[in-house]
Amino acid sequence: KVVLDVNGQQREAQVEPRTTLLNTLRNHLEPAVTGPKLVCDVGTCGACTVLIDGKPVYSCLVLAVDATKKKITTVEGLGTPENPNAVQAAFVENDALMCGFCTPGFVTTISAYLKKNPNPSLAEVKEACKGNFCRCGTYPRVFEAALAAAKG
Amino acid sequence: MQQQPQAQPTPKPKKKIRVPRVVNGVEQMVEIEVDEDTGPGWGPNDKHKLLNHRITRVDGPLKATGVARYTYDQRLPGMLYARVLRCPHGHARVTKIDRDAASKISGVKAIIPAPLSELRFAGAPVAAVAATTPEIAGDALRAIKVTYEVLPHVVHAHHAIRPDAPKVIAEENNLQDKGKNGDPQKAEAAFATADAVVEGEYMTSRIHHACLETHGMVVDYRGGDSATIYASTQGTFTIHDDAAKELGLPASAVTTTVEHMGGGFGSKFGLGLEGMLACRLSKQTKSPVKLMFTRYDEFVMAGNRSGSWQKLKAGVKKDGTIIALQARQYRLGGLGPGSQAGQPYIYRMGDTYREVFALHTNEDSSVAMRAPGHPQASFAVETLVDELAYKIRMDPVAFRKKNLRDEVYHRQLDRGAKEIGWSRRNPIAGGNPGPLKRGIGCAVGTWGGGGNNQCKVDVTISRDGAVVVAIGTQDLGTGTRTYTRAIVAEELGLGMKDVKEQIGNSRLGAANASGGSTTSPSVAPAVKDAAIKARMLMAERVAPLIGNPKPDEILFSGGNVSAKGQTVTWKQAAATLPAAGITAHGQWRSDLQARGVHGVCFAEVEVDVETGHIKPIKMVHIQDCGLPLNRLAMESQINGGMIQSLGMALWEGRVMDAKLGMQLNPGFGDYKLPGTLEMPELVPLIDDDDKREAVIGMSEG
Repeated sequence: KVVLDVNGQQREAQVEPRTTLLNTLRNHLEPAVTGPKLVCDVGTCGACTVLIDGKPVYSCLVLAVDATKKKITTVEGLGTPENPNAVQAAFVENDALMCGFCTPGFVTTISAYLKKNPNPSLAEVKEACKGNFCRCGTYPRVFEAALAAAKG
Repeated sequence: MQQQPQAQPTPKPKKKIRVPRVVNGVEQMVEIEVDEDTGPGWGPNDKHKLLNHRITRVDGPLKATGVARYTYDQRLPGMLYARVLRCPHGHARVTKIDRDAASKISGVKAIIPAPLSELRFAGAPVAAVAATTPEIAGDALRAIKVTYEVLPHVVHAHHAIRPDAPKVIAEENNLQDKGKNGDPQKAEAAFATADAVVEGEYMTSRIHHACLETHGMVVDYRGGDSATIYASTQGTFTIHDDAAKELGLPASAVTTTVEHMGGGFGSKFGLGLEGMLACRLSKQTKSPVKLMFTRYDEFVMAGNRSGSWQKLKAGVKKDGTIIALQARQYRLGGLGPGSQAGQPYIYRMGDTYREVFALHTNEDSSVAMRAPGHPQASFAVETLVDELAYKIRMDPVAFRKKNLRDEVYHRQLDRGAKEIGWSRRNPIAGGNPGPLKRGIGCAVGTWGGGGNNQCKVDVTISRDGAVVVAIGTQDLGTGTRTYTRAIVAEELGLGMKDVKEQIGNSRLGAANASGGSTTSPSVAPAVKDAAIKARMLMAERVAPLIGNPKPDEILFSGGNVSAKGQTVTWKQAAATLPAAGITAHGQWRSDLQARGVHGVCFAEVEVDVETGHIKPIKMVHIQDCGLPLNRLAMESQINGGMIQSLGMALWEGRVMDAKLGMQLNPGFGDYKLPGTLEMPELVPLIDDDDKREAVIGMSEG
């Protein structure tokens, strides 16, 4: 049994020790937390990115048992459709999403990065989300959204 | 490719109708004449209130906050997780499957064999398991012992073409003749009169769709008399027939839903082997079963873009006229026939002769991928065209214009040249000093994008003023939801927030599958038709409130309904409706769509001639599509096309091991997708000189 602090709530789940944080969020919490996506499961694509104590990590590379007693923030914890954070709002405004499957990862990565660097250059934005893949081809608009969110 | 899609030899009978138009800045109902068998059209492309504007996606907030629920996100009570065991040999037969150890693992609920007797590629499915967690399903796969009779395989085209190569399919030659076109003697004779001749051999790799949401579905069947299937599919209506057969249910008892969809690019149609296995596991266990491919699965059997191998020879006159072409085209589709547009693709090349073959290898069949067959043909012919231009020292843009008949390409080439700064280009290849060379190139492409008559749309207006547009189509990330809503909102003079859409369910009105860029030209006309009919129904009801005008004199605009100087609000108008509201049924209208698109792409790249490293600097793409339904989404689609073609041209490609017959790069660690660091400056341009008042598909957008 693990107890996880997810988006400010204490959540319990019964998992095997080998279960990743990603699979725990998606398959074992009730109700499930499915914002972080399972795309590669080996830390190559960034779609499962969550924040652990404010730092972006690939949740497919973290075991749930190693994530207890830490603050876990998923894309759902950053904002809601009615009350999105600046990055989420900028993603919609700039059409920085198409199929949307990579979007939670990008939003989470960029939200954390802008806290660290509130006024980034285009090159810095590219560098910050180099660990996230998109297949539809939203990159230019992801960059625009990040820069727009930074400007506020 | 002609600009006007339908020739009209005899004038059709006409009728007069009134349509909303802006005249001198004022929106009003104006009388126009149309063919008797049609109705109001889209009107001029630059006179829309919502369409052809920049509309943010209606599902954007859900996707940006993680609320959007995809097939992969479905979790049902008692649901089992399925995995597929895959053949590790390029070609084999299964002689024995020992499930004993695997079935003893706690949590394993079912193990079934895959329905293939001969496994013709590494990765072919051998068995499937269902277990209480994906981790336990993985344990079961490792515990199944399979005995194989290993057969000879061949995975490289150059090996497969040899007469002594192992046969991929026992009854067939690896090399299949797919037809000849033209006169080889005439082409040969023309070469003799050419001022220059270029011969080249061109290959393109097998490319993976790499949909971020893998193929798969959740089959919710618990032994009753109906089932629901959550599918990641490009065709809401392509699943239930075959699923019902597997489940032993009537087709009408199976519902498919596709609420949100994580990418398809041509690879996701029908039940598929994965769906068949999921149905069988669900039927056997009487439990919901989720079978989503792993990333490895996705690489080895979820399809790929056909590779190509082309041998071209062309002759050209000093004045820039290409006078002859000989082409030998091999389609590399693995087990399948592959696809490749016939040469000389879109060019005029005088006396042409081509031979087309399919060349089989022990690899999973290629499937459709964004303009199937076109990039392969385009890559080869455009490279050839550049070489020909260089040989006769003619500017590549001027050379293309000389050999392209359609003047749409001419205007697009001129615009692209201006946007990229073609005049900066050094006409001498590698003419700049130092190892880093800059080059600018261009290429031209076409596609069909016409619609078909399958869609049935309902627009329902409730007495409280709520408007719902419903059709079972799917949104692949192409913006179907958004333009469906926008068409209705515009027709009824409402805002985007005043209309809701229901899509992605096989219980809703019929819709075509999203293949071949047919979605928008099939869906949009039917939505428009339903919206016009809803407006007219509403007009009849509201007429008594505003001085009894004729229904087509009533203007719906800005949330108001007015005629003859009298105005009521939309809500007041809706209050005249019967308790159940009104529903208008729309169907496809051929006159609201067209086919045939043109695109021109320019790219500036930096090449390190010492290492061969290519760095894209800037790309410009100009695309026509008739009426752009949503400029924001269309530009995104153009960006997507540029980025995917960058990957195709520079980084991506399946790598096969000849000896093992296996793919060596079945993961994002080794298969190089375009990433953020490689992104050049991208300039997506909509060709607004295209005045066709018709919806034409452009990547389903």
